[in-house]
Amino acid sequence: MIGRATRWTLLGAGVVAVTGVGRAVARRRRRHQPERQDGWYVVHRGVTVDRPRDGVIDFWTDRERLDRALAGWATLEQLDGGRWRCEAAERTGGGRRWRAEITVESPGVLRWRVTDGPVAQEGRVELVDAPQGRGTEIRAELRYRLGPVRRAFGLAAGDEPDLALRDTLRRVKALVECGEVVDTRRDPSGRSPRQERATDKVREKLATGGRA
Amino acid sequence: MRALCWEGVGKLAVRDVPEPRIRADGDVVVRVRASSVCGSDLHLINGYLPAMREGDVLGHEFMGEVVETGPGVRRLRVGDRVVVGSVVACGGCWYCRTEQYSLCDNSNPQPVFTEKLWGHSPAGILGYSHAAGGYAGSHAEYIRVPFGDVGAFRVPDGVSDDAAVFASDAMPTGWMAADFCGLKGGEVVAVWGAGGVGQMAARSAQILGAGRVIVIDRLPERLATAAARLGVETIDYARTDVLEALREMTAGRGPDACIEAVGMESHDVGPSYAYDRVKQAARLQTDRLVSVRQAIMACRKGGTVSIVGVYAGLVDKFPLGAAMNKALVLRMGQMHAQRYIPMLLERLAGGEIDPGYLATHPLPLEDGVRGYELFEKKRDGCLRTVLHPSA
Repeated sequence: MIGRATRWTLLGAGVVAVTGVGRAVARRRRRHQPERQDGWYVVHRGVTVDRPRDGVIDFWTDRERLDRALAGWATLEQLDGGRWRCEAAERTGGGRRWRAEITVESPGVLRWRVTDGPVAQEGRVELVDAPQGRGTEIRAELRYRLGPVRRAFGLAAGDEPDLALRDTLRRVKALVECGEVVDTRRDPSGRSPRQERATDKVREKLATGGRA
Repeated sequence: MRALCWEGVGKLAVRDVPEPRIRADGDVVVRVRASSVCGSDLHLINGYLPAMREGDVLGHEFMGEVVETGPGVRRLRVGDRVVVGSVVACGGCWYCRTEQYSLCDNSNPQPVFTEKLWGHSPAGILGYSHAAGGYAGSHAEYIRVPFGDVGAFRVPDGVSDDAAVFASDAMPTGWMAADFCGLKGGEVVAVWGAGGVGQMAARSAQILGAGRVIVIDRLPERLATAAARLGVETIDYARTDVLEALREMTAGRGPDACIEAVGMESHDVGPSYAYDRVKQAARLQTDRLVSVRQAIMACRKGGTVSIVGVYAGLVDKFPLGAAMNKALVLRMGQMHAQRYIPMLLERLAGGEIDPGYLATHPLPLEDGVRGYELFEKKRDGCLRTVLHPSA
């Protein structure tokens, strides 16, 4: 038989433990949240491309190479000297498309704004020389508007602007450095169609986001 | 085509699978002539690297004949007999350009797992689970090799398939292990593991100038092979206290360099090993660290410990105090295949290294399951099973 004092002591210890763990989890979660400014989530991501700045700019100005790189993923239409319209398929499929307007501010700096898409977002990309001749740092700032609940669902489904940005930066790096983005879906396997679909979902999870 | 597939922990089967196709400009398709089992496959088969999916095609150490090339391939032609490095490298990132191919930035299309586990994602590896990119492996009639110009190398005439196949992985891994030791000439080098990689590391150390090479294992036939083929000294750890023996053999100094070519499923005797085994079986640690621990303890003060056995995650009882206070140099990594293969093929053609004897069990692909069983259980003196899918 447990005495009243013991019961209260155990309850107290339980409350302290739960509160402590809860606070630690909350603190850790906060550390992983993007910054918020005036209702916008703001994230900064970067990737280092092993090419000089001019080489990276050349890649984006070589229309043929760019179209080949974007084939099946996005189309670019030039509106005037420094403005482009980009139309792209939602990365996770589902047939949704979004349109964005891209403005080249100066060599090595561009801005984009989504004009038609599921999530309001805008951003800025800057090319900076990497130290020690390591090529070019592509630094991106992304701002997007999304309710916390929708963001949580988006994160769970791998469908969130920050994840898409990190994917895009990794893709750009691969295209500039080696001209292709490796894909191992549809590599031979002994899987049934059902197992293959389940494996594709796992592949998607393992390919989504990552450190840009 | 037929391929050896992973069907669940400890389960393999030879199945019909679709043939690979050229998917990118730099791809080549290779008809596999020889594909070796490797000790690191056992970690995948036994579920210690938990990123396999049912139906994955195994195999990463292979050679064969180019049967199709992508439009961007310049260096290779259909009909070339090639050996392919198991590590996939794009050839265009900073790591590839500085010949650190196994750290390639662009060849793992599924980097999230390893980024979470290790902080960054190294290169993809053919047939080596979804943590290493989810590539189909080489225990099949055909395999797609991405970045063919970077990863496939023509085999010189006169070099047999069963020798050339080891230039794919065991030889470059062994060479890199010895290269890490920074040998200047005359050093004593101890090698843990008398499997394919260990024996190649021992031979590489000899070529790079080691004065004495001591190989440690528990399988008498492997130790006998190493002694006979390479002229190395041997220690049977099941019968001898390794640390005592090494101290005595080096008059108290300890080996100048210690190469660990065993990996996460290393064996030992005694209660501490039993404890490690239980912990690993219960998935409370991913790796058994027996041989690394011994290497660190045995190494002379200021010496080098070179680790090429494969480790996945977290370990306990890592003797960091010994490593720190003895001022050891620790070097480790997956091998940079593309850096070493051309040089190794030349040495192979010149007869300086002859790994053909490692292929103790050449078998047709249909016998793949038995081949792995022979290899894993070390039956019938099996050093390496080499599958011949085109036979």
